[in-house]
Amino acid sequence: MPGLIIDDIPVEVPAGTTVIEAARSVGIWIPHFCYHPALGSVGACRLCAVKLLDGPVKGIQMSCMLPVQEGMVVSTTDAEAQAMRRNVIEWLMINHPHDCPVCDEGGECTLQDYTIAGGHGLRRYDGKKRTYHNQELGPHIQHEMNRCIHCYRCVRFYQEQAGGTDFGVMGSGARVYFGRFKEGALDSPFSGNLVDVCPTGVFTDKTSRFRARYWDYDMAPSLCPGCSLGCNITPVARYRELLKIKARRNDGVNGWFICDRGRFGGREVNDPARPRAPRVDGVDVPWDQALDTFVLRLGELLATHGAGSLALVGSPRLPLEGQLLLARLAEIVSPGNVCWFTTAGEARGVLAALETLPPEGVASLADVRGAGCVVILGVDLLAEAPMMALAVRQAWRNGAKVYVMGISEWTFGSFLGISVTPVSSLDEVPPAERVKPVLIGNSRDLPSARVDEKLWGGARVALLQSGPNAVGAALLSVDHDGASLEELLASGRIKGVVAVEADIPGSWLAGIPFVAALDWRQTETVAVAQLLLPTTSWLEMDGTFINYEGRAQRFLKVMNPGIPLRGLDPTLHPPRIHRSVPPGGDLRPAWRLLAHLVERLGGRSPESPFTGRWERLRDLHPEGEGIMVYTHGSDSSEGGG
Amino acid sequence: MEQVLFRHNRPGRCITFAEYRSQGGFGALTRALRELAPLDLQQLVMDSRLRGRGGAGFPTGLKWSFVRRDLPGPRWLICNCDEMEPGTYKDRVLLEANPYSLVEGVILAAYALGVPHAFIFIRRGYESAAANLRRALAEATTANLLGENILGSGFSCHIDLHLSAGRYICGEETALINALEGKRANPRAKPPFPAVKGLWGGPTVVNNVETLANIPDIVANGPEWFRSLGATPDAAGTKLFCVSGHVQNSHCFELPLGMTLGEIIDGPCGGMKPGRSFKACLPGGASTPYFTREQWGIPMEFDAVAKAGSRLGTGGIVVFDEETCMVGATLNLIRFYARESCGWCTPCREGLPYVRHILERLEGGRGEPGDIDLLREQVKYLNYAFCALAPGAMGPVDGLLRHFQEELREHITLKRCPFGGRG
Amino acid sequence: MIPDSLRKELAARVREAITPREAAVDIMKELQRHSGWLTDEGVEVAAELLGLSPLQVEELATFYEMIYRRPVGKQVIHLCDSISCWCMGGERIMEQLREKLGVEPGGTTTDGRFTLIPCACLGNCGEGPTMMVGDTLHGRLTPEEVNDILCAA
Ligand SMILES: Cc1cc2nc3c(=O)[nH]c(=O)nc-3n(C[C@H](O)[C@H](O)[C@H](O)COP(=O)(O)O)c2cc1C
Ligand code: SF4
Ligand code: FES
Repeated sequence: MPGLIIDDIPVEVPAGTTVIEAARSVGIWIPHFCYHPALGSVGACRLCAVKLLDGPVKGIQMSCMLPVQEGMVVSTTDAEAQAMRRNVIEWLMINHPHDCPVCDEGGECTLQDYTIAGGHGLRRYDGKKRTYHNQELGPHIQHEMNRCIHCYRCVRFYQEQAGGTDFGVMGSGARVYFGRFKEGALDSPFSGNLVDVCPTGVFTDKTSRFRARYWDYDMAPSLCPGCSLGCNITPVARYRELLKIKARRNDGVNGWFICDRGRFGGREVNDPARPRAPRVDGVDVPWDQALDTFVLRLGELLATHGAGSLALVGSPRLPLEGQLLLARLAEIVSPGNVCWFTTAGEARGVLAALETLPPEGVASLADVRGAGCVVILGVDLLAEAPMMALAVRQAWRNGAKVYVMGISEWTFGSFLGISVTPVSSLDEVPPAERVKPVLIGNSRDLPSARVDEKLWGGARVALLQSGPNAVGAALLSVDHDGASLEELLASGRIKGVVAVEADIPGSWLAGIPFVAALDWRQTETVAVAQLLLPTTSWLEMDGTFINYEGRAQRFLKVMNPGIPLRGLDPTLHPPRIHRSVPPGGDLRPAWRLLAHLVERLGGRSPESPFTGRWERLRDLHPEGEGIMVYTHGSDSSEGGG
Repeated sequence: MEQVLFRHNRPGRCITFAEYRSQGGFGALTRALRELAPLDLQQLVMDSRLRGRGGAGFPTGLKWSFVRRDLPGPRWLICNCDEMEPGTYKDRVLLEANPYSLVEGVILAAYALGVPHAFIFIRRGYESAAANLRRALAEATTANLLGENILGSGFSCHIDLHLSAGRYICGEETALINALEGKRANPRAKPPFPAVKGLWGGPTVVNNVETLANIPDIVANGPEWFRSLGATPDAAGTKLFCVSGHVQNSHCFELPLGMTLGEIIDGPCGGMKPGRSFKACLPGGASTPYFTREQWGIPMEFDAVAKAGSRLGTGGIVVFDEETCMVGATLNLIRFYARESCGWCTPCREGLPYVRHILERLEGGRGEPGDIDLLREQVKYLNYAFCALAPGAMGPVDGLLRHFQEELREHITLKRCPFGGRG
Repeated sequence: MIPDSLRKELAARVREAITPREAAVDIMKELQRHSGWLTDEGVEVAAELLGLSPLQVEELATFYEMIYRRPVGKQVIHLCDSISCWCMGGERIMEQLREKLGVEPGGTTTDGRFTLIPCACLGNCGEGPTMMVGDTLHGRLTPEEVNDILCAA
């Protein structure tokens, strides 16, 4: 480990670390544009200049291109280094529009920050500025080439990281242009990351343009509920409306990026017509009345049909807190009749995954990125879990061989720009190539999949699950002998269903006399329920999801619930009566409602959803790597993979 | 004066294969394949003290010795005939008269380096040079001087001609490698140097045309002979000086390395054009700081020119008479560089147009007193660009600031160009 | 339309190359020779031949000076505007050409005969000012000679 000194601070970092990274490790931030931890160093912007005062290298150097060496003495504050950085900013500002107030990036623009920080406040250049034609890039991304500072991050992300071929860099010299051959929507399912990697306002999120400034954002660390990978995100909201979603770094999980589905989807939270008031037999009622009715009708049902007649149903999208309290409620009102899966097939698959996989055999996304050999077992990753596909591409870029079984290698490989080899069985993967192997499959197919024992032995496995918290659902199913609703209904005893954020086909519920739904989405189940208790979405509460690998991660409340100001009936705004909650905002997290019912029906308030083996999740920090909880039963391992 | 590279030339036309052979051509190759081990050949070149003629003057043998011979996969050799630096046309003159020395030199270098496949990267517009090379390659192949199992030695070598589509940056060796690979010709980061990781990731040597064309004679006549060709003890070999501008004879001359600037201009160049007097020159192509009368006696040899504050560069001497506006000349050069920037790094892509703008302001009579300091600042910080293009571009600006400050000031105080330039 | 025969010929050139990309510049030049400039169709054909996307071909096409992505006249006049030609009066030649052809630098005459392009050093510095009409180099130009050359071209 070479030792060096940066701004009088002794630093020791592994060989191969660059000076910019070494500085970062001790909290010294060296300004940079082209360097990006995930995209690497290319030395194009020349902003990261530092001065080497002593040691094997001397003078002004670009810290992103300079590997540390023993005995280096680095100054980031040296006058000449600062002057270089100031000049770089001045050069970049020569052609940059001076209209931050009308730029959507204003307030969250790295160029703006560095221009102010570097002290370049007066323009010395008195000529014309360069201008460009913008391209129409589809519904998600706005193009404003005049704001480009040519750090090449966009094309490096798009082509190198994501394997896209329809966006790139054209021209030379001062005419360099980043765009497409012809106007049109970007092909890559990861295109939204252009918004995140661009340090200025060339690529902005069209879905949220000019809706708010950075300092007005409601933001919190959150998780993407789109699939079971558990990618970390930062949703941005304003006035009770989800405006946009940004990727949030987590090296063990998604790294720096997210997929377009996660980024541009998830907007049903903004739907004004979402369940917003408790409802009994089709009529909106106050909360007290709804809860009283719930308790009353539940009692009647149990009195008439007996304890086994009520099914309590959770789901793989229900946060862990709600799943846990559902089990508690079941113990009180209908022991043995609780489940977290709707169909039997789904339950079987997820449970089989849990049984088959030793915790140390689970592949995280980081493991996939570092794999030497990847076999994809019949899943269309781009459709089901795009970030897994991106991780496979990184493995391929690092030299891994990629095999596919049971899917069209052409679609998968060509879309990601990687070469893949189709095989019809695992045996066909040459043993010599099974270096750091990772198998990727879907738990749905697991019960029927035939798996080669030897390869299983050494390989890590990633099994996609049916929802953001499917593993939580599976763990509880095991603990509480939970079957699936399909199996419970098959017994013929069920006369009542309490569906907590569960997606039950309306037809299944046709003959059931008592159906109560707790949900924030307008689902079929909600439509047929006699009793509706509206809940908050995952953006309006704190909660926990356990991803496919058994990693528990915490998300925090991003915004207050309520009908977004935009789309609000003009008679409701400005408010003409005094209220303590905004219109449509009197919603409660499912777990709180369940806790209330546990208290009323069981006589004792559950102080926290997390008791017993779950206790260590109480203080789970949203910014960390999460906690691994895969093993059911006793011990479980800490930290990320 | 001894002619080495031009020894074979016939006036007005390119020599033939037979003529080249009849003068001992390909004798060096024949002998080397029979008598010399590759590393001996490399040592010979090292001993000759041949320095690269592509601009940087790096010792050729030393460069070859950096090539990693222990890596798996092929090694590569590239002959750099991009020659797009203004004021430089020596490689064209050489190849239009005689492509064979280069072909022989490339094969010898390939043999020394253990390279099975070499490329000659030639600029756009050099159609007749390319045609000569194509013919020479075919003739050499037919004579089994090129191709499989050359002269029964067991050594095989192929040479491909790659015609560029034109960009000055393609001459920079790592950009050239990208261009050859069919990528955008942005330079690559160094290290790793091409000798370790170059073309398609393999160890690669890039040498200039003139450099490689010297190899056959070094092999044929020995390193001592080559060293004795120079005009000073430090200078080895002859040099092609291509002269342009306001001299009587603006041609490409093969002269002993180390002749003084004055000797060159007053000698083969026949002095200035009638009625003109010498004001300044670019001593070694467009990226070198100006020489003035004060440097008249400097030996035109790498170290001496460097010591005098400029660079021998390519040996392209561009001579200006007393009526030339040096601000205008510098502006012209910067216009070239700003247009030819590859656009990869900020100092070059944005800084060069800025310098151009400042010079336009000065030349157009709109300059301000602060502009001289501003230029000085630009010269200093453009040096920290990604490759040598922008620092090269600063050569003449640096020269302007050092030798022609008075002229700059005059532009500012008169609010116009004293030579009638309009910027 | 790019004829099949040309496609076949170019496909053979790609097969000879060490990697398909290595042939990219050659392919673009040949397609340009066929159509006078590299048309959008040309870019698409090149992409197909090279196994690249049209954008990836465009990335290369727009980098180089001698690949034209816009129509040019029957003859392209490249006038060197670099230092050796400049100091021998290159600017006067440019004036002369502009006047004579009635176009600005980069423009094409209305009759489609000439496109005028100022360019970097043509490697004929000893004989400046220099211009290249098509593939033919003309040195030591005087305004009178320019007229003659244009008439003859
Ligand atoms: C912008 C730029 C342009 C260059 N152009 C050429 C060129 O046209 N021909 C050439 O031989 N070297 C050129 N060089 C130098 C090459 O990078 C390289 O040093 C040279 O080809 C090595 O050959 P040598 O060792 O035989 O001199 C250029 C360098 C730079 C920075
Ligand atoms: S200095 Fe920078 S922009 Fe200029 S040619 Fe070199 S890498 Fe390209
Ligand atoms: S961050 Fe180092 S040069 Fe851009």
